[in-house]
Amino acid sequence: MATSGEPAERARAEIRRLAEAKGHPTDNARLALDRLDQAFAAGELQRTPLLDAAVGDLGLALLQDEGRPLGGKSAEAARLILRAIVRGLDEA
Amino acid sequence: MERLFGRPRPTDDEMRRIPPGQYLTGKWPILHYGSVPSTDLSAWDFKVWGEVQHPLDLTWEAFRALPRTAVHCDIHCVTKWSKLDNDFEGVSIATILDLALLTPSAGFALAHCEQGYTTNLPLDVLLADDVLLADTYAGEPLEPEHGYPLRLLVPKRYFWKSAKWIRGLQILDHDTPGFWERYGYHNQGDPWKEERFSDR
Repeated sequence: MATSGEPAERARAEIRRLAEAKGHPTDNARLALDRLDQAFAAGELQRTPLLDAAVGDLGLALLQDEGRPLGGKSAEAARLILRAIVRGLDEA
Repeated sequence: MERLFGRPRPTDDEMRRIPPGQYLTGKWPILHYGSVPSTDLSAWDFKVWGEVQHPLDLTWEAFRALPRTAVHCDIHCVTKWSKLDNDFEGVSIATILDLALLTPSAGFALAHCEQGYTTNLPLDVLLADDVLLADTYAGEPLEPEHGYPLRLLVPKRYFWKSAKWIRGLQILDHDTPGFWERYGYHNQGDPWKEERFSDR
């Protein structure tokens, strides 16, 4: 059962805002991931298998070796995975 | 091949080989997520597991000792470029799966690559004559950004299915989506049907 109450709704709204903000999708993704982690840690939202998988995949898409550029598909991957995360927030 | 506005102008023969919605390029664009991985061949291996009777764990030397096949093919990226007349060389998937011996329930494969990348294919596609585990392009080892030391080559599908930096094949009795397929890319990815994205 999804979490409810003001903290949960606030966390969902903030994550959606970060995910859908103007700007580079990889930057948005890092900010949204940080906020999602905070929400899990604070108990504002609960983990779901879908969100855990998407967070893991997003981490892979943003994986960047020191001194090496991110590949051109990282932005598209971030955009698509963020969309899945936003869709999954209502279940969290 | 003539050029038109910086892009090659296809001949009539080339036009027939370019799927709908694609444009011809003479270059080989580099598209991937994350960073290009570095590979230590002494620690590299290639695994086949799942619905097989003889799971494999091949070293680079063992892989290179397998019978080799050359494939001349056209490649088509979901981002709309097509590159014609490519020469790859490597080991056919059929050779690998003959060694591993599929179980009767085997029907699908999930390719596993460096950095957690995966992509899925049905075995009837994977067992086509032109599907390779390719380590050579135009007579030279693959360049790092194109998948060195080994990539899957599935010319009849959009090129995201030709997974770079492949490290193993998981044989399954059911289909399961890979990385891009989970987030909106089409499950089949046939360029002649323009199967770029799913409806999700």
